[in-house]
Order: sequence, then structure tokens, then C-alpha cells
Amino acid sequence: MILYLLRRLFLLVFVFIALSILAFSLGYLFPGNALQNFTGMTDIPAELATQLTAEYRLDSGYIQQYIAYLQRIFSGDWGLSFASKQPLLQEIKILLPATLELAAYALLVSFFVGIPLGIIAAIKPDGIVSRIISTLAIAGYSIPVFWWALLLIMLFSLGLGWLPTAGRIGVLYEIPHITGFMLADILLANSQHQTEALLNALRHILLPTIVLATFPTTVMIRFTRDSMLDVWEQSYIKTARAKGLNRAQVLYRHGLRNALLPVIRQIGLQFSTLITLAMITEVIFSWPGIGRWLIDSIYQRNYPAIQAGLLVISTLVISVNMLTEILHTLFNPLARKR
Amino acid sequence: MARFRLLPDEQQARSPLLLLWREFSRQHSAMSGLVLFILFFLLALLSPLLTPHDPYLQNDTLLLIAPSWSEQGLVQYPFGTDDLGRDMFSRMLMGARYTFGIALITVIGALLIGLLLGVLAGMSKGLKSSVFNHVLDLALTIPSLLLAIIIVAILGPGLLNTVWAIMLALLPQFVHSIRNAIAEQLNQDYVTAYRLDGASNWQVLTRIILPNIWERLTVTATMALSTAILDIAALGFLGLGAQAPTAEWGAIIADSLDLIYVAPAGVALPGLLIFTAVLSVNLVGDGLRNAMKKRREN
Repeated sequence: MILYLLRRLFLLVFVFIALSILAFSLGYLFPGNALQNFTGMTDIPAELATQLTAEYRLDSGYIQQYIAYLQRIFSGDWGLSFASKQPLLQEIKILLPATLELAAYALLVSFFVGIPLGIIAAIKPDGIVSRIISTLAIAGYSIPVFWWALLLIMLFSLGLGWLPTAGRIGVLYEIPHITGFMLADILLANSQHQTEALLNALRHILLPTIVLATFPTTVMIRFTRDSMLDVWEQSYIKTARAKGLNRAQVLYRHGLRNALLPVIRQIGLQFSTLITLAMITEVIFSWPGIGRWLIDSIYQRNYPAIQAGLLVISTLVISVNMLTEILHTLFNPLARKR
Repeated sequence: MARFRLLPDEQQARSPLLLLWREFSRQHSAMSGLVLFILFFLLALLSPLLTPHDPYLQNDTLLLIAPSWSEQGLVQYPFGTDDLGRDMFSRMLMGARYTFGIALITVIGALLIGLLLGVLAGMSKGLKSSVFNHVLDLALTIPSLLLAIIIVAILGPGLLNTVWAIMLALLPQFVHSIRNAIAEQLNQDYVTAYRLDGASNWQVLTRIILPNIWERLTVTATMALSTAILDIAALGFLGLGAQAPTAEWGAIIADSLDLIYVAPAGVALPGLLIFTAVLSVNLVGDGLRNAMKKRREN
């Protein structure tokens, strides 16, 4: 196990080096000159330009430049945004929790809805309930996320007027930024309108969560169902039944434990799709997260922001990937041998 | 199976492909998916011949006509016209060519490159294959939209540029699945037997491995196709892919978004088409997977 972890760690380092090389080379690949792309300053006076060139080692070879780039990344100097002239790292620190919050709720919904539905669908694979669940799952799997979001906004926000269309919380509430997670911040804020603020925030988060959760939920349903059907065929299930365990006991003690193992792995594999969908969802619901910021950055030709966004989002996805894989190996001794 | 049979019974005498088709055609959902898929395919091929009006012709006497099922609609314009007087029906038909057709081309491109790289990775051993896999793992982690954003930032927006991005995003899953399939095949006894007969790597690959993995490849390709359609539409909607006058379904939705109260059909119909196209692909993919499973069981 320790050898396995070491190998994973080595791989992680390798991947991060490759990622940083990619991010570094973008400074040259993007239009405009490299100094502007790295610093994020659009009009640099001549004397400052020479000073910055020396500081960023742009006059020496690419390898020195790359090392200087890495040093800046680790010391927290990520350059400025073209659009707002603010330090990028500061902006990302404010934006990232919003995206994480949305993605986390969507994943939670997909667990608590997708896995039970998948299990129910696997119990009687040809039954009517199973067919309905499978049909819903394939429909949810096929629906374009932006259109689905528009439909729900049309129905619940514009048609019925039940839910707000945009933002994280009503403008009347002022919530100090502590953790960046809206619900946690409201609970920490300790103001007199706490309950109202909480309800308001929940109403704001409901639609985006439903929209974003649709895809992972259907993936969970399909995957849990297939995995359950696979496990149900195994001989140890027959053995357990023959020993006299009833269906529920077999399901809990032998079925679920084995069937849910590949599901853990699936989370990691689907996480990058989830982030793509989160970015689109954020644009539609004006959710102030990193996805909307990145898409705005492309409209504004804000190259330093795209570079920083690549680093942050890829690091996030790689970490989640690695974490789920390690968890999968931890729970599944069979996977450790390889 | 222990009983010796000189002539196998009728069921088993059929070719694997025919058996697959038997299992596939038994599933109603898969068959309806296939019919829809063929319809979309024909539409993508023939749409310039089928459109009743020029999809880009602006007619300022016929702005925002309602669809023909409403009282104000005209029968010549089944889905009405948009705010520039362009016929929505023709634009929808043309959209099949952009969204569905280009997605198909993207997937075929990714499949061919993936086949090449996957074979190289699967047939090689040791350090070369290990380094290769790790580079792939990195590519797998960059979300497709982020990849598209980076490519658009470098090359500028446009349908073709996003096609590269989507191809690049699809590539790792192809290479992974091909490499795994080849690794599985190489462990089979019949490969060893064939090698003992003196077959070269190339012969093993073309005579044994490829015929055995192409069905799995088709399933992977259908999954990739549904992703590609959704990605092209999403990028068109965000304004990064197909640009404004192009009749791409996602771009049409973005165009009609500001008129959603006046002409909701402009948002509803292209979305429905994207949904149907992806659904047909997924139904075919699921049907194929089920049919392969059933055939193995028999």
C-alpha cells in the first residue's frame, strides 16, 4: 500500500510539472507579448518594463523563465487580471468556493438520489419501475444542460415566479465573506435576519443545483444499476443466499459493498465533466463562480485569468481524481495488486 | 458443450454480426434510436437539398412570424421566422449539418487518431507506454470546456477551432479504451497460438485484434458522439463555437434568447432537436451494449 501511495505521489508530481509547463507556455502561445500575459499589466512604462523583464527573467532562456514562473506561483504572485487590475489569486480565492459549493451540492444530490434509484432499478431489471427509472436516466443523460436550465427558469422563475433566476442571495442581505461558502457564511454571520437569509440563499441555490445534478445523478443511476446487476450474478451472492441470508441482508452485506466500489471511481472520472457543466450552469444563473469568470475572461481577452484558471481548475480535478482512485484502492484490496 | 456436434445448430451457425443484429433489433428503444439516428444522418447529408427557403436569406417583410400551428402562422413557414426574417425550419434543417454532422466528423477524427495512438500504446511495453499513459491522464483531467477556452484564446473563436478542442478532449477516452482492449486481447490464448504460427505484430493486430475490438470501439464512439454534440451545442450557445449567422442549434438558441417572450419556439425547438439527436445516439449505444452482453450470454 505504501509503495502504491508513493507511486501515486510520483505520478502526481509528474502531472503537476506537466501542467505547469503547459500553463507557462500559454504565456507565449496567447496573442500579445509574453510580459503582458505574465504580469497582467496592459500598458507598462519603459523603465518598469526593463525592470520586470529582469525580474521575470524574460531575457534569459526558457528554462530560467519557467523556474521563475514556478517561484512566482508558489509565492502567490499570480499576476494581475487584465479586466479588473486585481491580483488573480485574490479573485480566485473569492470565486472558487462558490463553484465548489455548487458542485458539492450537485454531487450530494446525485448520491442521495442516484444511488438509491440505481439500486431500485437493479432489483427487478425488467419491472415497470426499473423501466421508468432507466428511461428518466437516459433522458437526463441526453439533455443539453443550458437548455434544461432555460426550461426550468422559464417554468419556475418566469412562469410560476417561485424561484429567483440569478445570483447566490438577494441583494438585501449583506453576508460577510468568511469561508466563501454561502450557507456556512450565513450561519457564521450571526445577524438578526439569519433565518430569512438562509431561506433566501436556499431558494437561490435550488435551481442551479437541480440543473447541475441532473447529469451526475443519471450517471450514478446507470452505473449503480449496471454494477449491481453485475455483482448480483456473482457466486458469492448465491453462496450468501444459500447460507440463509434474506434479500435485504445480502444486499447490504455483500451486494452494496461490492457494487458501490466502481461507483467511487466513477466520481473521479466524471468530475471533469461536472466542472464543464458547472461552468455553463454558472453562466446561465449568473452564479459568481470561477466558471462564469473564465468564460467572461475569454470575452474580455483576459489571458492571465485563463492561465490562472487552467492551473486552479486542473489542480482541483487532478486532486479529486487522485483522491477517488486512492480511496477506491483503499477499499478494494484486489486493485492494489496491480 | 461437452457433446460433440458435427453441425452446429442454426442459432450458432450465424455470423457474430448477425447475432448482434438479432439481439439489437429485439429492443424497441434501440430500434427507434437507430431510426432517429439514420434520419439525422440523412438530414446532415442532404439538408441543403431539403431546405424550402435559404436559411440565411433575410426577409424584412416577414419578421418574427409565429409557427404555423398558431393562428398568425403561415403554412410556408412551419416553424415561423426569426427577428431577421429567416425561415426557422430551414435553419433547423441546416443545423443538423452543423451540430450533428460536425460532431460525427469530430468523433471519426478522434477515433482514427485514437486508434493510431492506442495501438502504439497497447503494443508497446515498459517505459514508453508508462510515460504515454501519464501524459494521457493529464489530458483526461482538463475539462473539455476549459480546453476549448484555451484553444479559442489562442486561435480565436470559430466552429473549426472548437472542433479541435473537442477532438482533443475526446481523444484520451478513445486511447484508453483501445489500449485496454488490446491489452486484454494480447492475453488471449489464440493470440499466442497465432504468434507461434509465426505471425508478426502487424498480422496479429490486423487479423485478430482489430476484428475483435471494433464492436467495443463502436460503443465508445457512440458515447463520444453524444458528448461531442452536447459540447458543440454548448460552445455555440456560449458564443465560442459557431458564430452568429451560422445555423448551428446552440447558436440559434443563443440568438433567440433575447426574444424568449415573443418567440419561445426559437429556444424550444433547437433545444428539442439537440436533445433528440443526443437521445438517439445514446439509445443506439445502449442497445449495442445490451446486445453484445446478451450475445455473450447465449
